[in-house]
Amino acid sequence: MKQFWEKISKNRYYQMVFKNPFTYITGAVLLSITQIALFAYSGNPWGVSGTFANWGAWLYELFGGSVEKWFYFSSTGAQNTLQAGILNHTGTMLNVGIIFGALVATLLASQFKIKKIKAFKQIVAAVLGGLLMGYGARLAGGCNIGALFSSIASLSLSGWVFAAFLLVGAFIGSKLLAKFFM
Amino acid sequence: MAEYELDCMGEACPIPLMKTEKKMETLVAGDVLVVHIDHSCAMKNVPEWARKQGFNVEVEEVDDGEWDVIIEK
Repeated sequence: MKQFWEKISKNRYYQMVFKNPFTYITGAVLLSITQIALFAYSGNPWGVSGTFANWGAWLYELFGGSVEKWFYFSSTGAQNTLQAGILNHTGTMLNVGIIFGALVATLLASQFKIKKIKAFKQIVAAVLGGLLMGYGARLAGGCNIGALFSSIASLSLSGWVFAAFLLVGAFIGSKLLAKFFM
Repeated sequence: MAEYELDCMGEACPIPLMKTEKKMETLVAGDVLVVHIDHSCAMKNVPEWARKQGFNVEVEEVDDGEWDVIIEK
């Protein structure tokens, strides 16, 4: 059995598909094809962070809250999505698929590892960064998938505006990173 | 011909690359730096950067999800 796995791990095609990282070009082509397929199937461009807001609303409703009066969820479309429930939500399937797919990919490459947290400031940075990104993504009407990738793919000017300010944010972020983590 | 080590375990991108760049500045030609990483993007961008600088690079998989990037200046 051990021999069998060793043989597979040396196989050229295993290494090409599962073990070695894809080039940026391969990744870009695969992303483009799958996002076209998604658009054709669901009628909506790919987005990630909008789903988190829905998850929050469902969680809030689970504890007896109501978001009907909230401006963010006031449109009929948003209400219909919430009423259809989490199991009928394409965005939820996609996000769960990303997490599950990433796990499968790292297992197939046998690169799975539970990493140690090196310093407390890593937790602080992750929590602060996550909150800022989530809040910013809702204000901007999308994250780097919905507002950047899908917008540019839809030939929308807003995607390019988002890109310009993404660069500003990345510049400030990298300065902060160098200041606190180097 | 000294050999140095850089522990970047538990550090996410782009910290391993930034630390490697900084450390390599202090090395003289012929020195070797071994960077320990457990972040798969660093396994791509650290060797990429080092090769662009014209250094010899080798990547060794030491364990599941752990690599040593060996750079010779």
